[in-house]
Amino acid sequence: MSELQTKTSSRQSEWLARITLILILVIFPSALLGYQFWLRPALADIRTIEIVAAAPEAGGFQPDVIRVAAGEKVRLRFSVPDVAHGFAIGPGLGLDWSQVDPGEVKEVEVTFDQAGRYTLYCNIWCSPNHWRMRSTIEVYDPEQPDRLPVNDTADPVIASLIARQVDIDAPHEAVTIPTGRPSAARGQEIIAGLGKALPAELQSQVWQRSHSPVEAWQTLEVVGLSEAEAWDAVAYLWLAELDDAQRQAAGSLYAKNCAACHGESGDGQGPGATVWAGQSLDQHSGTHPEEKPAAFTELRTMLGGTSEIYYAKVRRGGMGTGMPGFGPIFTPDETWLLVEYLWTFPLQSKLPSGRQ
Amino acid sequence: MSHRFELTRSLWLKALLKSRLFQPILMLLTLFFFVVAIIAGFFGTPAGSHNFSIIFVWIVWWALLIIVLVPFFGRLWCTICPIPSLGEWFQRRGIIRRIPGPLRSLHWRWPRRLRNIWLQNFGFLAVAVFSPIVLTSPSVSAWVLVGMIGLAIGLSVLYENRIFCRYVCPVGGFIGLYSLVSSLELRVKDLQVCKDHLTKDCVTGTECSYGCPWLIFPGNLERNTYCGLCMECLKACPKDNIALNLRPFGADLLVTKGRSLDEAYKALIMLACALLYSAILLGPWGWLKEWANMASLPHWAAYATGFLTANLLVLPGLFWLATLAAQKATSLQTPVKRLFTDYAYSLVPMGLTGWIAFSFSFVFVNGSYAISLLSDPFGWGWDLLGTRTVPWTPFWPGVMTTLQVMLLLLGLVFSIVITYRIGLQHAKTHTQAWRSTLPVASFLTMVTLAFLWLYMGG
Repeated sequence: MSELQTKTSSRQSEWLARITLILILVIFPSALLGYQFWLRPALADIRTIEIVAAAPEAGGFQPDVIRVAAGEKVRLRFSVPDVAHGFAIGPGLGLDWSQVDPGEVKEVEVTFDQAGRYTLYCNIWCSPNHWRMRSTIEVYDPEQPDRLPVNDTADPVIASLIARQVDIDAPHEAVTIPTGRPSAARGQEIIAGLGKALPAELQSQVWQRSHSPVEAWQTLEVVGLSEAEAWDAVAYLWLAELDDAQRQAAGSLYAKNCAACHGESGDGQGPGATVWAGQSLDQHSGTHPEEKPAAFTELRTMLGGTSEIYYAKVRRGGMGTGMPGFGPIFTPDETWLLVEYLWTFPLQSKLPSGRQ
Repeated sequence: MSHRFELTRSLWLKALLKSRLFQPILMLLTLFFFVVAIIAGFFGTPAGSHNFSIIFVWIVWWALLIIVLVPFFGRLWCTICPIPSLGEWFQRRGIIRRIPGPLRSLHWRWPRRLRNIWLQNFGFLAVAVFSPIVLTSPSVSAWVLVGMIGLAIGLSVLYENRIFCRYVCPVGGFIGLYSLVSSLELRVKDLQVCKDHLTKDCVTGTECSYGCPWLIFPGNLERNTYCGLCMECLKACPKDNIALNLRPFGADLLVTKGRSLDEAYKALIMLACALLYSAILLGPWGWLKEWANMASLPHWAAYATGFLTANLLVLPGLFWLATLAAQKATSLQTPVKRLFTDYAYSLVPMGLTGWIAFSFSFVFVNGSYAISLLSDPFGWGWDLLGTRTVPWTPFWPGVMTTLQVMLLLLGLVFSIVITYRIGLQHAKTHTQAWRSTLPVASFLTMVTLAFLWLYMGG
């Protein structure tokens, strides 16, 4: 090859290399990002919504508001950068996806049939601020995209408590308590023995929900039962509604949403309770460190309260405590189910398959 | 030269290495992957296991570097590294061709005080102390890559040649040191030819080559530490006096010329880091990992203080005691500082095997992510090769610990042999050498036991 030819070929290589450099530094990145963020969404038959799921102190769900049209099938892609999180959307949709580990990505496809406001929430303990890990999903009616149905109107049960001037957040200690956990199994026989002597109001769900077990016990003592017999009878009346399937559903709700703080056995000693005393929670949520999660196994604090009060606490949260509101997550029916389940902690279930 | 096999005897290999296309083409290729990593870091999923910037940089590249390139090929990574590429091409005004004229830069002089690897030592520690975050967060990773390339460009504007690679790059520091072990070297064939050659084309450059960008006169090369294997000298030498050789592992560790305290500290820092990372990431202390991950600023500050103290004071302190004992055990008058520096080179094989063993623990466990990432490098849900849904599967979980233990023991034996041979350089008799070896060998054994305890699930 002559020197001239060598020079020409080296010039050509140089230009080729320069063009390659421009391709690498400018054209490739522009084309790639243009495709991913403009062309690909435009061509896709299903919209993908990217959701970063980080612990609340690292930003929580991003974005924190997601808008979707009712009836629109969307793909949600969760990226988990830090610690394991669980994903569920409520209330009342039954959407609950299993845990996703750090560094992983999970895709789900979902269609929201009804317009409304829903909550995407984490349902495994991920940080001291776990309960803050929520974002809103606004599902709009495609006919009226600007109008979002308001489905968080005042809860009639809470409104009624307030109207009756019941202090939801005050302690509701029982004036008297049984010596041990009352047994619904024994209570069932006692109630059967009472027959028509059982005061009618005690069998009414409305009465039961608005009265405490202590009040029921006082009523039963009047009809001639011993102290212990009356407590057993109350245990039966309070747990009679909960069948096996309901207990399982409620147990699962409890395990995912409550046990982290209140403990699996309801003793108030979940992993969340240990950080309760620490400063971090105080800093983040503004609660008082001395406010421990309620122990449902404590007879004195439990048996003086009513199902309505516990219902209100679950849905609205505990004022001045770290108890978050679950109203945006549970339907009223789910909340009642959960409250009925809570009674299985201070009261001994009659069902052999249940907690003894 | 004994025990050497000259690879450049192969004409086609020599022609390849002499071609001006060789290095730039590889650099363009790695630059492309570098750009992919940066885009993935900034725009890809923040889930590290599904992001190219984490898996391909910190697992695939790292594994390639520490398990293959450094032990076998020395600084070969520096030949193809994309980080200095833009700065170098800016200085040269071209990519392939040898453009006549001086390099384009402000021609500042690099301070004499910084003509060592202390900056690289501290730079490495600065990155290391953040590494649990850098290694898991794609965006932080991308910032580190952008920062490195920005710094390399900046330094190329101010100073001629590869000042960044030679004195600043935190990766280059340990690649250089561990290349002392590697089985590949670039050397002159006949030193006398260089001495007699007046024009020194390898330093000044020729019509078809640049002067050594690493500021080295190949005639003086006795160790791999600062030769970036760019092959400019091979292109320049009119006497055909440059050779690429295969040689026994660890040959440079016994070269006394060039040993210095900054390199000795590098050896200690690398060993300490391998040990500390093993403890943080594989040890039974969850709290330590949380602190390293910046659970809170005070926790991280405590971790960082401990990490730096262990690196700069504790391990060097213990090693200093070992060398002091070595001096006392013999009646030699060599100053302890000299012994400290010289014996530190015996830590190099153990440090390297320690790093390889540590790397096995995440390469074997998490390497399979790379398969799905080939199809979806940005975690955007692509499926280029149909491998996106290939599940995460640890490779050979039963074999990993055995391999790690074997490697660590190999490193220990290698290091003790080197210690003894360094001892011989100071001692008059074999007995004296053995006596001075004992304290250092005890130190090496203790470190190995700590590694073994961590890897065998202590």
